[in-house]
Amino acid sequence: MSAKKKILIVDDSEMNRALLEDMLADDYDIVEAENGMEALAYLHEHELEICLMLLDIVMPVMDGFETLAMMNKNGIIKHIPVIMISAETAFTYIDRAYGLGAVDFISRPFDERTVRHRVDSNVILAEKQRELSTRLSAEIYEKEKDNRLMIQILSHIVEFRNGESGLHVLHVHAITEFILNALRKKTDAYDLSPKQITLICNASALHDVGKISIPSEILNKPGRLTPEEFDIMKSHTVEGAKMLDNIPVHGNEPLIKVAYEICRWHHERYDGRGYPDGLKGDEIPIAAQVVALADVYDALTSKRVYKPAFEPEKAVQMILNGECGTFNPLLLECLKEIADKLKQELTVVSAGNSADRDIQNTVAQTLKTSGAGVSNRTIRLLEYERTKNKILSALTREIIFEYSPSPEIITLSDWGADYLGMPVTITEPREKDFGKRVFKPKDFDKLTTALKNTSPDNPTVTEKFILDINGRKTVCKVLASAIWSDTEHSEYEGAIGKIVDINDETEEMKLLEERANLDFRTGLLNHEAAKEQISKLLVGGRNRQYALVFFDLDNFKQANDVHGHLFGDEVLEYVASTIKKNTRSSDIAARMGGDEFIIFMGYKGTVEPQIKRIFSSLTGEYKGFPIKISMGVACVDKSIQDYDTLFEMADKAAYSIKRSGKNSYRFYDDSLKDITTDRNS
Amino acid sequence: MTVKECYEIMKGDYDDVISRLRTDERIKKFLLKVLSDTSFVQLCNAIAEKNAEEAFRASHTLKGVCKNMSLTNLAYSASNLTEALRGKQEIGDDVEPLFKKVKKDYALTMACIQML
Repeated sequence: MSAKKKILIVDDSEMNRALLEDMLADDYDIVEAENGMEALAYLHEHELEICLMLLDIVMPVMDGFETLAMMNKNGIIKHIPVIMISAETAFTYIDRAYGLGAVDFISRPFDERTVRHRVDSNVILAEKQRELSTRLSAEIYEKEKDNRLMIQILSHIVEFRNGESGLHVLHVHAITEFILNALRKKTDAYDLSPKQITLICNASALHDVGKISIPSEILNKPGRLTPEEFDIMKSHTVEGAKMLDNIPVHGNEPLIKVAYEICRWHHERYDGRGYPDGLKGDEIPIAAQVVALADVYDALTSKRVYKPAFEPEKAVQMILNGECGTFNPLLLECLKEIADKLKQELTVVSAGNSADRDIQNTVAQTLKTSGAGVSNRTIRLLEYERTKNKILSALTREIIFEYSPSPEIITLSDWGADYLGMPVTITEPREKDFGKRVFKPKDFDKLTTALKNTSPDNPTVTEKFILDINGRKTVCKVLASAIWSDTEHSEYEGAIGKIVDINDETEEMKLLEERANLDFRTGLLNHEAAKEQISKLLVGGRNRQYALVFFDLDNFKQANDVHGHLFGDEVLEYVASTIKKNTRSSDIAARMGGDEFIIFMGYKGTVEPQIKRIFSSLTGEYKGFPIKISMGVACVDKSIQDYDTLFEMADKAAYSIKRSGKNSYRFYDDSLKDITTDRNS
Repeated sequence: MTVKECYEIMKGDYDDVISRLRTDERIKKFLLKVLSDTSFVQLCNAIAEKNAEEAFRASHTLKGVCKNMSLTNLAYSASNLTEALRGKQEIGDDVEPLFKKVKKDYALTMACIQML
């Protein structure tokens, strides 16, 4: 691969492009476009590869100004420096180009030194800018990570002293975030900018920091607290607030302020009966109100020394019934709305992923607020890809899924999750509906094993399954590709794939297949299809008794010759309908072609009565034309393995009838072994 | 014939082109490309079809190509034609003599280049 940077030259004159290429080819790879439209099409696919664009003004199809305007519209202008190249040097042109975001202007005729110098310096400038932007996001990320880490260490110290798991802090953090986001949609009575929400969530980790000052005999007392002890316990609110208040230098930091509110007032009650200050209603800062609710919810749904864990539904019900204090009615509405989400999400909140998700959020936010100039184009492109996939998957009505093998997680596309009525993220899918009901356990096993057994060179798996989709058995095709790591020793990392409903398609195929199997004249099976079905039975049904009947009409030629072909066809149809009437659905009846038919049937004990009945029902007359048949019967015994042998025997038996006087039937026996029929002579 | 002699005959500016493009080889390489440039043919077609907009674009491109190669004489007549066509919906009476001049200069220039 070439390490040279790529430049896009957009000019309608081949000669101009060649000239520029000649000047720049030593240092750059050159891509050419004849007009703005071509250039935009190229950029759509290869935006990231291009480090600079040289753009002519007067061009057919789409001129330079229109191109710039489009690049403004889709934002590319922010990421790719554009130098105008034109013989037009009127100020109006130059001004307009600069106004539309062009960084420089080179007038024709080209001077090699000027062209190279301006291109070089603009490429370097853009490069520097990108580098800075990347470094900036990395630094914000690091800083945020450190901050977060300190807060978490601090709050975990409190938790561990308290004998609780460190998860409480994480849960409160997550619940607080959900409530705040729901609340933001309901009202603008509070300052709930994304930045403020992040702040409150971070500060929420400190809500119990004051417990550090409570003697551990009281903090960890298994039994009920005495009134005096309870008073000491209650002081953790004021103590925590005091600790934050006494922090030198940073007292005015927004984080400290919010943390102070939360520490001091997260045990206040909306009706004014809480502690320590007995604040009422919205006198209690919203941060403290929300954290109080989150704290109660998590306490209810977690196991404590003095109580078991309640089910999420029960916890919500208890809070709504006012069994655990009184809360802002607006917050209760929020809780009701997010109840399902909480139930799902809290099971996946673990130390690693929640911290990282938050930091990502903060980085994205910080970048957003510091202006579009530094927004990371990679993130933007990824975002674009994701939106595209989302829309495509909804349009094509396919369930897109990602599969991670350890720990096992299935992630569904939004549309897919909606369609299946399942959460987007499914942990332990084998234990859940996805791996038990939608897929049958053995099918899910088959799919995941097949993916694991692929290789980096051949990672795809295509398999049909019958899935249960909302209670309906549906034929689906699963197309999946395993993901193998790019390292020297490739490791299986999981898979992505899609589930396509092919039920309708399959129904149609079945119908077509059925039609293809039928003899068009009589509606009986054709010989091929009959042979296939009979062969299957011969292999599968060893312990059953079967007989193959072969017959043809003795005087069919006459029907055609004397009464015409139309009448001949009628006779055939009559025979077919008689066969249909006199055979069972488990029998196989087919027209071989011409006036030859076969019937394959199972029997118990002796077959002769059945044969006799069919023979006599077939012989007789149709519209005055006498129908006589020569019929041979061959019974399946152990020595017969295949259809062809069986057919040959029936054929020989029928042939011997034909030779010995016609209109009768005969069973095959070994005396017919050496007979030669017309067919095999 | 040297490149410099060629420029003298077709009334181009050799000093300018050599200062910009640096070597005779490069100048020669691109002069030969001028032979296969299609803007003149497009210009003739556009004039024949009385398509003023198309004619403007083609003559503009021809001018650019000439300026790139310091083909001063042809660039000048192409420039005059370009200005006569700029922003026009129809081809005016003034175009005919200017186009004739372009044709004449183009023929001379091509003949010179072919002798290189």
